This record gives sequence, structure tokens and C-alpha cells, in this order.
Amino acid sequence: MSGEPTTGSLGRSVRRKEDQRLVTGHGRFVTDLELPRMRHVAFLRSPVAHARITGVDTSEAVGTGVRVFTGADFADVELRAQSALPSYVETGQPVFAHGKVRFAGEPVAAVVAADRYRAEDGCELVEIDYDPLPPTVCAWEPPEEPVHAEAPDNVLLERTFTAGEVDETFAGAAVVVERDLVTNRHSGNPMECRAGVAVWDAADRRLTFWNGTQVPHIVRNMIAELMDLPEGNVRVIAPDVGGGFGVKAVLYPEDVALCLMARAMPGVPLKWTEDRAEHLLAATHARDHRYRMRAAFDGDGTLLGIDADVTCNVGAYSVYPWTAGIEPLMAGGLLSGPYRLAHYRATVRGVATNTAPSGPYRGVARPASVYAMEAMFDSAAARLGLDAVEIRRRNVIMPEDVPYKMPSRLVDDSGHYAECLDKALDLIDYPSVRAEQERRRAAGEAPIGIGVALYNELTGLGRAASAGPRMPFRTGHDACTVRINADGRVTVFSGVTSQGQGLETTVAQIVADGIGVTYDDVDVRIGDTDASLWGFGAFSSRQAVIGGGAAHRTAQAVQAKLLDLAAGLLEASVDDLRVVDGRISVVGEAEPRISVAEVARVAYLESHRLPEGIEPGLEATRFYDPIRGAFAAGAQVAAVEVDRTTGELTILSYVCVEDAGRAMHPQIVDGQIAGSIAQGIGGALYEHLVYDTDGNLSTGTLLDYLMPTSAEIPEMVIGHVSRPAANPLGVRGVGEGGTLGPNAVLAGAVHDALGIEIDTLPVSPSRVWEALHAQEVRA
Amino acid sequence: MDVHLIVNGERAHVDVEPRRTLADALREDLGLTGTHLGCEHGVCGACTVLVDGAPARACLMFAVQADGAEVTTVEGLQDGDGALHPLQEAFVAHHGLQCGFCTPGMLMTAAHLLDTHPGADRETIRAEMAGNICRCTGYQGIVDAVEAAGNARDTPA
Amino acid sequence: MKCAPFDYVRPAGVGEVVTTLRQAGGDGKILAGGQSLVPVMAMRMARPSVLVDVNRVPGLSSVETDGDAVRVGALARHALLQAQPDHPLLAEAASWIGHTAIRTRGTTGGSLAHADPSAELPVVAVATGATVSVAGPDGVRELDAAELFTGMMTTSLADDEMITSVRFPRPSRWGFAEFARRHGDFALVTAVVTEFGDELRVTLGGVSAAPMRAHAAEEVLAGGGSARDAARAASEEIEPTADLHGSVPFRRAMAAEMVRRALVRTGVEE
Repeated sequence: MSGEPTTGSLGRSVRRKEDQRLVTGHGRFVTDLELPRMRHVAFLRSPVAHARITGVDTSEAVGTGVRVFTGADFADVELRAQSALPSYVETGQPVFAHGKVRFAGEPVAAVVAADRYRAEDGCELVEIDYDPLPPTVCAWEPPEEPVHAEAPDNVLLERTFTAGEVDETFAGAAVVVERDLVTNRHSGNPMECRAGVAVWDAADRRLTFWNGTQVPHIVRNMIAELMDLPEGNVRVIAPDVGGGFGVKAVLYPEDVALCLMARAMPGVPLKWTEDRAEHLLAATHARDHRYRMRAAFDGDGTLLGIDADVTCNVGAYSVYPWTAGIEPLMAGGLLSGPYRLAHYRATVRGVATNTAPSGPYRGVARPASVYAMEAMFDSAAARLGLDAVEIRRRNVIMPEDVPYKMPSRLVDDSGHYAECLDKALDLIDYPSVRAEQERRRAAGEAPIGIGVALYNELTGLGRAASAGPRMPFRTGHDACTVRINADGRVTVFSGVTSQGQGLETTVAQIVADGIGVTYDDVDVRIGDTDASLWGFGAFSSRQAVIGGGAAHRTAQAVQAKLLDLAAGLLEASVDDLRVVDGRISVVGEAEPRISVAEVARVAYLESHRLPEGIEPGLEATRFYDPIRGAFAAGAQVAAVEVDRTTGELTILSYVCVEDAGRAMHPQIVDGQIAGSIAQGIGGALYEHLVYDTDGNLSTGTLLDYLMPTSAEIPEMVIGHVSRPAANPLGVRGVGEGGTLGPNAVLAGAVHDALGIEIDTLPVSPSRVWEALHAQEVRA
Repeated sequence: MDVHLIVNGERAHVDVEPRRTLADALREDLGLTGTHLGCEHGVCGACTVLVDGAPARACLMFAVQADGAEVTTVEGLQDGDGALHPLQEAFVAHHGLQCGFCTPGMLMTAAHLLDTHPGADRETIRAEMAGNICRCTGYQGIVDAVEAAGNARDTPA
Repeated sequence: MKCAPFDYVRPAGVGEVVTTLRQAGGDGKILAGGQSLVPVMAMRMARPSVLVDVNRVPGLSSVETDGDAVRVGALARHALLQAQPDHPLLAEAASWIGHTAIRTRGTTGGSLAHADPSAELPVVAVATGATVSVAGPDGVRELDAAELFTGMMTTSLADDEMITSVRFPRPSRWGFAEFARRHGDFALVTAVVTEFGDELRVTLGGVSAAPMRAHAAEEVLAGGGSARDAARAASEEIEPTADLHGSVPFRRAMAAEMVRRALVRTGVEE
């Protein structure tokens, strides 16, 4: 548990470096920043979903002494997410809406004032006239008036994945299962909303932007491009960030506005702290999808073919820089999950509507696609009289199938699904849960059901493993700089970012082990584009694999330099030197010869002792790219009690087994899994962003948008199948997998308990009750 | 308006508009940024502080209402020597935090819980902590931490 | 999410509260616990020009036994109601309000004056036939809780009146049941059953603009009907509206189920 200060910290749950400041109230979040002459920003947001802007009058607000910016101020700046996909319709997102607004909550103006209270006062005095247009809220209803003129049918992209002979396969199938499934729009909702502080130094034409972002280097480059500044003159700092989950992996118009306004007010730091109402309205949403699913099986439950039509509501804008393709393409690429499948057709499309833009959210599309896929097995099992576990066993990719080329042509390198499933069934004691289910059935007691989901999580995507929308950049690598200072302690400038994942800790563990110093001797600096060379940031469960790999490679490079120098000083052969706990010894000798600190002192301060040909300093910078990805296998199983009178579910037990590869910090790994399952349960049972037909968000506060609390989330049992991946650290990403199971598990459990197919999420009491009621009426 | 209060045992004074919340006064006027704002409408619990010993949402109190009151924030949990409060130590040991944004409110709620429910079991902890939302941990580490801190306290040294 | 500006007054007595409210001419608002008022002010959906902070008005915070009832000061916090032993139904209802940090601030008077139909205390007030003491320019008047609630978050209180205390009669038997989405959420349905003498009352919250007695259900019970029969009658006599959490039939069914549970908890045959 505690961090003993020795080399070999990898694999142990050392004390997190972040925790001391966070538990004492000394975290450094963007909103905590206080700078001289700071002014505060409030955004005025559209109260309507779709309208032409016919008038803007700021005179009354300006008369009170505040500064007001509107669409006209920055009309020449537009965020345009790009993709090389042939069907992609490129559209632009303005900094402030001008001409027309496309969703309720879109920023139309900003007020800068002495404090946030006065900024909000100022917003009330800005008058915007709207001429309403018919809004589109549902992505599978034709628009009366398109969101963007460039896409008259609102379709921003469409792609069909095909493999094998789908029509012939269905024609010859013993059983064809068909279901139309709709998943509920919800969002990441980190506890810290978005935030930014921007300040412009006019003399040097330099911008500093503190931003609660997952992707500071991407933000730096995009801001520089949009503001026509040299990249080196833009510094983005992501200090402590209070959760991200994908929501903060997007560059938002508010971010750009803040920087543009700062340039217009030189030397005045501008702070914006998003409030929760703004967050619910205008931070990215996700998971508003419809899956029209057909699955063909043979008589013994072997999956033969899938024919799917997937529509994703991508909201009003194609998010920058990920595009409107992020959800539909992920759905099409990974729909078949960890199952063998030869005949596959999936048409996926991203459709614009007058709702908040959809963006990346932990698990991107797969909580929905896993639900859709698992629903096919649940229905087929019921039709064929097979056990839900048995039908999955017959179809899952096994180790001997690996590498398995999925019908979407992604290559699965895992195959450990059955092993995860077996362990999960052991942990939940499957036979006794089934026995209890039978006992209750016989006794007429509250029914219980068992839900099962298997999934593959594609993590740590290298340059060759693109599941994304062919953007003008590939996110395959990260950089790391490791410096042994003259005192022998180590400072790491890593390209990773952290929103709670504990990367300061993990990177320190990797570097400490990589060099041979103690964990306590390593400090890690992250989130500052002026300090670290490069990192794409936190998304796609990539950082442990890629940022971790970079840290490992760099630490090894620095160790090589260290030992070269030490070898010269000791007049020994490099090959005979070992470094452990900050001390360098010669193989075969009992006592170390020299400390890392003594060698480091020579490297910087005693150049007269430097051996011939050795440069001063002890530093290296390396990149790492895993080229492919590392699939992480997972299985979740739960036993759920249903109250027939209210439709309420009680989760009696929830088990998850994942193959995270080698666990570098077991507590952090389990924390990622538990946290992602909790978000998955939230999405499956409670969280729903609901728009009315006029495009107004009906769930605009946390009184209506129901995030689960400690009273709703059950005790979870987390197990591991640790199969080292083929990368230097043997790790697989672990940040997202947990979210993939709960939709399928909980809907499946209701199916198992009651024989009711839940086709629309969330699995709310009313949904279950209505289905039960309909079942009773039919009976 | 002038507001005199005692914060973490020390006298404090702020001059604020009546509409300024206690949370904003603590954070912006007194520089105690450990108290976080997650929703500003009383649901998430991130801003929970102790007012005269009882937990309260600092976003739902105006600073002027705290005139004469004793307020304890997360910055006041450590003892005079700077040692961590047993709850802080337990949150670290049991991975009761990830991003740390909800943590100050969690700690203040838990501090009151341990005072009022000695020996609370996991079910009680889950029910009593339900006014504080965490988005990272899935609550497992938080419940572990509060349970462990409670057990440690109930066990005579 | 910051309040619009207001003037703040902190009177030392009820008389001063009433005077201040009268001077505000309908634009004043009493600040008690603030747990419902401050959020809507922060969202600028309420913007009183004068906020009258009654928290330091003395003598309004106690809970005392008063014959066959319990008299609760307007400033008694929910946490105090939850902890008091003299009126178990009130204690049970209070335990369902929000969370600890809400209950330490929220007040009885504030909850009744706010008149949220899905809040617990207004239902208990109607279920027990509570008497509400109200101070105004002409002194103190008393009214039945049922007369206090006139509609969705509206009461018969004048702009310059303040609830000072509430007298909750103690039922001989009672049952409480609530259906909410999450722990501590506002109720979709609250059912309270109270017995006074040989009369069984059934009161519902969350199904109409104000807490309501389910008279048809009460008649079924008076006629010796079962809990299930009474529950069915209650579900048929209400006119709930559909919302995010469910359809009209679902809400009727939940009302029936909560009535059934409250009756069973009271001791009525299922």
C-alpha cells in the first residue's frame, strides 16, 4: 500500500503524487487561478434551438461599463473539423453564432466584467432578436429546415462497412433476430465544469491559456492556427483538471472566444468558469443513437451475420477536431465486438440536429454498440432455448483465433474474453445465482435476472490502428523528456495529461524503474505545452500505453547516458554496471561504487571530470508509437432484482473482469474500472439529456439530470486476467472498458428476469413498468 | 456589507455584496480555493463546508449569513502540525479520490458523518454520503476510506 | 449561475420581518434555509429586490409537545425534525428530505411556504391536519394546512406574511411511503396514511398541484376495504400529469403502490 522508496515501484499501489495537494484543498484547478487585473467572462447563450439572428443590440450593456463581444467581432474565425472520408460534409462552427443559431445554449455573445456576478448582469442587458426556424431534435426524422445549408438532409457523413455475403447468409439462417434499439443521450459531466483563463502579452505577441483540457498540445496548435500565431507563441497549461471523460478533449468555441477576447484586451487576464447549467446545455453530449439490428444465427446459436443500420445524432456541429464521425465510425468499426463474424454490413451515419454537439465520451459509441450486439445474443438465446452464457461462448474470439481480423478489418490481438467470462462467472457464483433465480420463480418472490456482456476495448491506438474519422493528423505517438538534475533527482516533462487518472504517479513509477532510482526521487511535470515537447492527450485509453511507453523509452535512454558517464568515471565496462535505488554498482560486487547524484554532479558541474566524448547533462527526449493498438478484453456479469410493482432495479451483485495487461498501479487500475462502470450504470439507469420538440433541454439542472450517487452504485467485484500486451510495458488501456458493459448487462438482466426486451434506454422504472404492464395486458 | 467570521479557527473579514455566496467569499475573497463549486444549485455537494459544526452547501448560503459564524473548510482539516486528518489519510490510502474535485466536499461530509454516526457500516456510509457526487471513483474507494477512518477511530489506540 | 442583486435585511423580530416585507411591496422574499430559494435565484428565475433573512429571529427554532400535537417553530431545521422523538411520522418524513447538508439548513416554515407538491412536509401537514400560524400586519392568524396550499408552489400567504410555527397533530397510527428516482430526490409520489380516532386518512404528494387527500380511498377504508382496494381507488381519483419520469398510467400505478405500502405500514390489512 505505502510507497516504499525503492526501485521496483511498478506493479505496486504507491502513494499517488497528486493526493497530498488534493486532499488538503491545495489543488490547482484553472478556476483557482487569481491574477492581477483579472476580469470575468459570462457567455450569453441562445434561448432557442434554431433561429435566424435578426438583431444584436449591446448598447444598454455597454452603457453600464462592461465590455461586450458578439458574433460580428469574430465572424472571420470558424472551427472546421476535417476528415478525408469521401462522404464527409465539412461544416463550420462559429465562435459566436452569427446569422443563425443552431442549438439552444449556443454562445451568441460574451460580457467581460469585474466579477462573474456583474458579467451575468451584463448578459441580461444584451438584446438579441431571433426569427425562429423549425428545429430538428430527432436524428431519424427528416428535417423541415436543415441545420447546415451544406447538408440538406442533415447527414454529415455516412459509411457502409461490409464483409462477406450478408444477404445470402440471412437467406440461409435458421434464426433471424431483429430489434430496433435506441440509446439515451447523456454526457460525461465531470465534477469540474470547463474553465479557462487567457492572457495576451501584446509586446511579445504571446498568448497564455490555462485550460481545463485533456488535450493541451492539440489546443495549442489549433488556437495558434485559428489566431494566426506562431505555435511557439501560444502556451497552453492544463493544471489540475477535475475529470474529463472526453468532454474536455474537444476545442470549444468558448475556448477560442476567450483567447480572441484576451487578444482584444491586452494585459487583462480573462477568466471563464463554466457553470453546470452551461455545461449541460453546451458541453458535448453523446450516445443519442438508434441501431436497427438484424442478426442471423444457425440452429445451434452460431452467429452468421449482422446487418445493421446505425444513426447517431451528432448535434448541431461537427466537433473540433474529432468531427461528426467519431461516434458513427466507432460504432461501425467495433459493433461486432469480441465475436467471430464473417458476414457483416453496417451502414452508419452522423446526422446533424438542433441539439448540443455530440463529442467523445468515455467508451465512444461502444456502450451503445455493445448493448446492440449483446441484445442480439440475448434474443437469439431466448429463441433457441440456450443459456445467455452458452451462446456467447460459442461465438467469442478465442486465443487460438488471434490475431483475428474483425469484419471491419480491425485486428484483435487479445482473445482472452472467455477467460474473463469464466472468472466473472466464478466471482458471481453463477450456478448459485441461477439456483436462487429458480427458487424465487417457484416461490413467487421478486424476480432476479442475470445480465452478461463481453467487450473488446481498443486502447492505445498507434499510427496503423485508425478507428477514427481520418482527420488531418494521426494520434499514434507521445513524447517524453527525462532529466536527471545535478542533485541526482529526476524531473520528467511528459506529454501526458491527467484528469484524475494519476499520470504523475504512473509516469514517475515508469521512469523510476526505467532509470533505477526511487519513486520518491522522481517528479513529473505535465500539462504545460512550454514544458513538454508533445502529447496528443487523454483519449482512447491511450496514455498508459503510449505516454507510458514514451516515458519508459526515455528513461532507458537517460539510463544509458548515465551509465556511459559512470562507466567512464569508474573505468568500468557499461555492460557490467547496474543501477538500483539511485546507486550504481558493478556486477559481482557487493557494494555500489557511486550514486546517481555523484554522476549527475559531474554531468553538470564538474566538466573537468567528464570522460572524453561524453556531453554534459543527463537528459533525453523520446517518442513512442505502438504502431497498432492493444485490445483489452472485458466481461461483466450482474444479478439484478426487479420490483414488479414499480419497475425499479436493485443490483444485487456486479462483477467485472478485465484484461488490463500488466497493472502498473493496481489501485489506479481498479479505480478506473470502478469509475467507468459507475458511469455506465448512470447511463444505463438514470442519466438522460432530454430535449422537448422545440429543442429546449428539459434536463438542464442536476435535479433533472440524475447522476448516480453512492446510494445507487452497488458494491462491485473487480477481477483481473493479466495478459501482458505486446508493448514495452505490457500494458493495455483501462480507462474506458467499464462503461461498455452496463447498458447490455442491465437491459439483459431485465430480459432474463422478466422475458421483456428493453429496446429503449435508460432502463428507468417507468420503462420497465410500462413493458411489464404491456406484458400483463397481452397475457 | 461587512462580514466577520471565524474560518478554520482564525478571524476573517470580508466586505461583500449581499448576493455573494459563502463559497465565492471563501474562494475569491479569502483565497480558500479548496472549497469547490460543481453545480451552484445545491445538488453535487462539492462546496460542502461546516458552518457552526454542521455541514452546509456553501453555494446555497450567502456570505452575509455567515456573519459571526464559525466555518470549517477542507483547509482546516489538518491539525496544527500539518499532519493529515485521518480521513485525508484514509482517502489517500484507499484511493478515495481520482481528480480530487469532489474530494473537499466528500471530506467535510465524511468528517461530520464520523462524528454523528460512530461505527457506521458501509450501507450507512453510502446513504449518508449520497449528497456528494463523485464522477471518478464509482464510490468504492470513498466508502472504503470512510469505513477505514471510522474503524480506526472506533478502535482505541 | 449567480444571483441578481438584492437588498439584504436581517430583522431581529417577527414584527420587523412583516414591516420589511410590506415595505418591499410584493418584491420581498423571506430567506430561511434557502435550500430551494437560492438555487432559483442563482438561475435568476427568482429575483426578489429585498431578501429578508429570518434566520436570527429568536424563538422560532424549537420543537415542543403541545397536547396531542407537536408544535414546530418555522425555523426548526429538517435535521431537528428528524432527530425529535415526539412525532415519529414527522421524523420519518424529514429523513426523506434531500441529504444531511440540506437538512441542516432547510426549515419547516420554508418548506411549507415554498409549497412544492413533491416535498415531504407539505404532505405531512395536510395528512395530519396541521395548523399553521402566520404573522402579518394585523397580528397572528391560524389556518389549516389544507387552506395554505392553493396550487403549484403557491400559497394563501400574503406578500407581507410569515409562517411562525406549525402545529402537527400526532396520529395514533401512520404509514409513510415515497417513490423517488434516487436517494434524496424529490418524490414522484409520496403517500402518507394517518389515523385520527377511527378515521384513516390517505394523503398524496407529487400527483397534483398541491398535496391532496384521497377521499375515495378513505371511503373504501371506512367501508372496511383492503389496502389494495383503497390503493386502487386512490390511483383512480388522482389526475397526475406525465413528465420525464413517466406516463400518466405509470404515475397512477406508483400512487397506488405507495398508498398500498403506506397502508400496510400503518397496519391495514393488505
